[in-house]
Amino acid sequence: MEQHSHRGGPGHGPGLWVLLCYRVPREPSAPRIAIWRKLKRLGVAQLGDGLAGLPADARTREQLEWVGEEVTEAGGSAGVWLARPATAAQERELAAAMAAARSAEYEAVADQAAAARDAGEAARAAALRRLRGELRRITRRDYFPPAAREQARAAVEALAGQRETRSGEVPAAGAGERS
Amino acid sequence: MRWATRAGVHIDRAACAWLIRRFIDSQAQFAFVADPAEVPAGTTAFDIRGAELSHHGADCSFETILRRYELTDPVLWRIAQAVHEADLDDQRFDAPEAAGLDVALRGLSMVFADERVLELTGPLFDGLYEYYRRAMLLGREPA
Repeated sequence: MEQHSHRGGPGHGPGLWVLLCYRVPREPSAPRIAIWRKLKRLGVAQLGDGLAGLPADARTREQLEWVGEEVTEAGGSAGVWLARPATAAQERELAAAMAAARSAEYEAVADQAAAARDAGEAARAAALRRLRGELRRITRRDYFPPAAREQARAAVEALAGQRETRSGEVPAAGAGERS
Repeated sequence: MRWATRAGVHIDRAACAWLIRRFIDSQAQFAFVADPAEVPAGTTAFDIRGAELSHHGADCSFETILRRYELTDPVLWRIAQAVHEADLDDQRFDAPEAAGLDVALRGLSMVFADERVLELTGPLFDGLYEYYRRAMLLGREPA
């Protein structure tokens, strides 16, 4: 995962963002929904109606360019821009909103991990695999990691430790409740 | 024939270049450009904004090339699933190997120039092709 070096901080001006300005026809709805899903999966900041943004790097720029292409193919119009928030405060707000959105996703994962803890061996293994994938996808769109990320990761990995210990395989280091 | 794609080759472009050289144009020469406007005249662009051989709808560029050149080999379409998931990770296909391919290609692109990445990934895709081919014939994972 690429790190973004443009977080607004004291002594630093706001960083560079890549913006997708787009308009998709209301009908047919299938491509419009596909585009909406794609933007959601990328974790964009919805800056306004038809304006989405991500911290700029080679990958985010490419991703928004592809979505722009898809908008054009769907009969809409799209443009990709590089821009800086005019103030550091505005960028902080944006970052905080994105972090809060990811935080809610991490918390949902942590809740599901907690719910799976007392399930049977097979169900727990399945939950572990699914939640690890979910975490990986959330992390990919996580540009301003919130504290909930580590908590979710720990909750998911606890399922692995528990499984190993219970089935008598190599227990995770330090998790020697049974050995 | 001359072909052009975006510089900073990653999974989709590496796979496309292999596909082109192996199944479409054995004499293919590749140019790497930073911007779609820099695509040299007389070259066929792929995996670059505005090119015909690019992402279309839900397809990544590898899938687009398979369609446009009417390559129906099921082994290539199996590779396409892995490339699609490594590039887009939208869970359209079940290809758990995609995460590993993605990391390997990202790493290579950090330490080697694009031409070298293509040299190194060619044998990798040859191997994947053989692996999936055997898997399909056997109906299970080959040894």
